[in-house]
Amino acid sequence: MSAPERGGTTTYLEAIRQGLWEEMESDERVFMLGEDIGVYGGAFKVTDGFLDRFGEGRVIDTPISEAAIVGASVGAAMMGLRPVAEMQFIDFISCGFDQLTNVAAKNRYRWGQATPIVVRGPAGGGVHGGPFHSLQAESYFTHTAGLKVVCPATAYDAKGLIKAAIRDDDPVVFQEHKFLYRRVKEDLPAEEFVVPLGKARIHREGRDLTIVTWAAMVHTAAEAAEALAADGVAVEIVDLRTLVPLDEEAVLTSVAKTGRAIVLHEAPRTGGFGGEIAATIAEKAFEYLDAPIVRVTAPDTPVPYSPPLEEYYLPGKDDVQLAARKLLDY
Amino acid sequence: MAEKKTKGKKKTATAEAVTESAAESQETGRTTGEGAAPTGEAKEDFQALQRRREDLALDVTRAFPDKYRISGEMEGCSDAAKIDLLERLVRTRTFDARMRRLFRQGRFEGTYYSQIGQEACDVVIAAQLEKTDFVGPSHRDLGASVGKGIPLTALAAQVYNRVDSPDGGRYTACHYWHPEYWVMQPSTSIMMNWIAATGAAFGFKMLKKKGVAVAFGGDGATAHGDFHEGCNFAGVHRLPIVYIIQNNLWAESLPLSLTTALTDLAHRADAYGFPGVTIDGNDVISVWNTTRKALQRARGGDGPTLIEMKTYRWFGHSDIDPADYRSEDEVEDWTERDPLPRYVAWLMENEVLDEERLEGIRQAIRQEVEQAVEFAEASARPEPEAFLSEVFVHEYPGFDVRAGR
Ligand SMILES: Cc1ncc(C[n+]2csc(CCOP(=O)(O)OP(=O)(O)O)c2C)c(N)n1
Ligand SMILES: [Mg+2]
Repeated sequence: MSAPERGGTTTYLEAIRQGLWEEMESDERVFMLGEDIGVYGGAFKVTDGFLDRFGEGRVIDTPISEAAIVGASVGAAMMGLRPVAEMQFIDFISCGFDQLTNVAAKNRYRWGQATPIVVRGPAGGGVHGGPFHSLQAESYFTHTAGLKVVCPATAYDAKGLIKAAIRDDDPVVFQEHKFLYRRVKEDLPAEEFVVPLGKARIHREGRDLTIVTWAAMVHTAAEAAEALAADGVAVEIVDLRTLVPLDEEAVLTSVAKTGRAIVLHEAPRTGGFGGEIAATIAEKAFEYLDAPIVRVTAPDTPVPYSPPLEEYYLPGKDDVQLAARKLLDY
Repeated sequence: MAEKKTKGKKKTATAEAVTESAAESQETGRTTGEGAAPTGEAKEDFQALQRRREDLALDVTRAFPDKYRISGEMEGCSDAAKIDLLERLVRTRTFDARMRRLFRQGRFEGTYYSQIGQEACDVVIAAQLEKTDFVGPSHRDLGASVGKGIPLTALAAQVYNRVDSPDGGRYTACHYWHPEYWVMQPSTSIMMNWIAATGAAFGFKMLKKKGVAVAFGGDGATAHGDFHEGCNFAGVHRLPIVYIIQNNLWAESLPLSLTTALTDLAHRADAYGFPGVTIDGNDVISVWNTTRKALQRARGGDGPTLIEMKTYRWFGHSDIDPADYRSEDEVEDWTERDPLPRYVAWLMENEVLDEERLEGIRQAIRQEVEQAVEFAEASARPEPEAFLSEVFVHEYPGFDVRAGR
């Protein structure tokens, strides 16, 4: 596979590939390490062609050692490099947890040391991956002070945000949604662009009800909004894009406008980042609310494997519509 | 524009199952014509090659070069036990080859990991275990379950993720296990089973129970930190455990030289104060004698043994991986070192087995496999509600898995 062509219809996956490629081109300090990312081009082919272009000095096939992948990234970052570490599936980040949450996250606070690493990888369900290939892992990391957390929903954002993440001086966890890899695409500009961390995006405008969400659930929300529109209900969708830093203002502005809020996420409910959003709305926009804030999430179970089980597990359009009806009838 | 993400009624196309390597996969390759899984003509070539190789795998009487002939004696192994072992090997392989084809035909979702070529590493030790000995398998250990006697019906239902699977469809295909047979459910997260089996051995010791644990892992997995922590713990406590490394030279696309600077992984045992040996994992006699001794050591209170078995996986990491990172010569050589024909030839030379008996065994096993497939296909898909329980043993007041809806 050759250098990605810029512009034109681009998948979410190809967008990430472009973003990585451009940053590798423009900054010699950037390098990548992970399992099967070189010769094989990555389990999902995100890094296809990188080895040929950038060589084994900068595209490093590592042993199956997530602690070493994250830890070596941390060390290299301290030496002035800009590592991009791939977790073959984001689930396996648990094996690099100590390096990420105790070393990378706390370096700055403990001794002023910047740790500009990106730990990226496929997250999320919908592809029959089972309990170890389907995690939305954001809450482990939003709860760790010192880490930034990015969860793009569109090809444009995936590209713009991976570039911003690499340029950022803090450690960033970049969750790519594997269901979206080849399912969402859009026309991207041929010119270079970067999407800043910490800015939400209004995916759809509306006046009756706000859905705050991120990653694949943005598209689920959009389907529900479409269905509700047929009944004259105008849903506004706030795509957070980055959870840390959180664009509180975008959330509050939308809720102040609509007076009703659903928080939608793919991860289980208890301890999910949705709780944080709901609390923020309750604290800062209470007087605007016409109804309680409702969370629509996965159940509090691991992600099951068998298709009928997984389809039920993932929040769907119908679940969102049901919640919306409740709020509208409140 | 985003394709619609629907849920509920719609049957998921089998071609859309996904995961691991070609993760890989479907989602990718099969539906879009890109990614890991070959497509178009390449896909046809790939599938034809797979079929040829499966046919080869089922030909257990085929000729092989003299240099791969096996010899010696299987210590403490009666003729009946030798035949029993052969049956377990043939059962494992026949089931595996059948499942591969069914996967390609789209009969079940998800993914498939084949063990073809490596069976002896699992089956030979598993067959020597008591039912209550503990087995900690990984993602390529069909033989551990078949070797320990788990019925093929349960294993087929596992692959099909149906209600009759031991996990009722909650868990990823090819992660074989069974509670009654003391084979723990493998974890997709590499090496979790290694430490868990170490813990089981610790349990045997603490409870002063007779019993051994056997843990399985790949060459690639030995790079993982948990490998070290498990071995070290077992060494300190002289636990009754046998560690098996199936060194098939590759970890997905990663060659051994990028997993380790060692040539023989058995040397790793030196660091933990217990013996490590490297053997030909495709030589049933050698595997038998070595594992037998290791089990005796474990049962006799002499502590752990690490056995590195050199072997080879004939197919891709998962079914959709064309494995084109390996050379044809290498694959060819290893298909000639197939453990089954080598063992069959030795049994025949020693007049433990003849053609007629072998044919009888193969036929019976083919039937058994077909019955298992029929059983799995007839087994119901799990109801969505079926996964909303058993998160805890004691669900606390107010715990409601559905609260998110
Ligand atoms: C912690 C963790 N990291 C990565 C993976 C992805 N993965 C699954 S199997 C595998 C390769 C395993 O190689 P090896 O241990 O040699 O076993 P083999 O597949 O060759 O039998 C990898 C990288 C995983 N399952 N778990
Ligand atoms: Mg291997």
